[in-house]
Amino acid sequence: MDGESLEDFKDSFSYGERSNLNFKFLRRLTQADAAEVVRRVLEEAGHLLDHGDPGPLLDLVIAAQRDAYRHPPLQERYHYPDSPFTTPTRPVAEATVALLTSSGHFVDGEDPRPFGVEDMTQEEAERRIDDFLRAEPDLSTVPVSTPPKTTRVRHGGYDIGGAVLDRNVAFPIDHLRELSDDGVIGDLHPDAYSFVGAAAQGRILRHAAPAWADMLIEHGVDVVLLVPV
Amino acid sequence: MCHVSVGHTARVFEERGIATTCVFIDAFSHYARQMKLPRVLVTPFPMGRPLGAPGDQVTQRSVVTAALRLVDDATGPETVSDFDGVYRPSYGAPT
Repeated sequence: MDGESLEDFKDSFSYGERSNLNFKFLRRLTQADAAEVVRRVLEEAGHLLDHGDPGPLLDLVIAAQRDAYRHPPLQERYHYPDSPFTTPTRPVAEATVALLTSSGHFVDGEDPRPFGVEDMTQEEAERRIDDFLRAEPDLSTVPVSTPPKTTRVRHGGYDIGGAVLDRNVAFPIDHLRELSDDGVIGDLHPDAYSFVGAAAQGRILRHAAPAWADMLIEHGVDVVLLVPV
Repeated sequence: MCHVSVGHTARVFEERGIATTCVFIDAFSHYARQMKLPRVLVTPFPMGRPLGAPGDQVTQRSVVTAALRLVDDATGPETVSDFDGVYRPSYGAPT
């Protein structure tokens, strides 16, 4: 890597040779800002050696992500003149509630096989992120009774490490089941749903989301908890 | 892009009569406002962990509860509420 520029270094974390989806935001930064983030991360890592408290390093990484993504180019392709709003007909304690996330969860043995690929790895999903962004998303059905061991996750747009350890960081079906048992939710819809949110927006707007809405209405769902990653 | 995908999904669902509530991380909360989403809970957590850290079941459950509460409490569109929490993994044995 002799002679590698700082520009190349920071960009390499975003689907490059150092691909790391927790830090792909470095590509968005100026060289000076990226260098400062790296300096501060190393500084906090050094403090961790002596003080043992990971809190400051965690807070630093979260703040750096937030600051990098907070000011992206506006979406010039889409305009939102109205604010669609459905007034619930009953309180949550009497409603049928469903979960739908863009986290890429699915049931083991029911792989959505993106682009016809059997057992696509997380690494291949990251390499093919541009293909996902041009495609209509597939909606996977995950019964809320599915045990953690048979829940899988794959998504080329974010680091799935946390979701692999604990699905509830992005796919909170265990908490919804508890809230249903406790009466906070009237009825929990027996199926939860997930898709890979890195997808073609036009296809979501024109086809996928309307079809999902029709399906949920047919199932009597009143309220949907939506979780993007 | 996930937040835009979910934002579009929320808008379509609301137009068709399904009430939605979303959990966005702070880094992408500007999308919620720009897309004029109906009910959004904003969490101070990192990408890929919008409900909280692995193993932090107390925080995760609190986030879900707060998001659902927006359905009962929001009196009109573009209701955005901030969740006050700290990201600290506490993962033990796999469940």
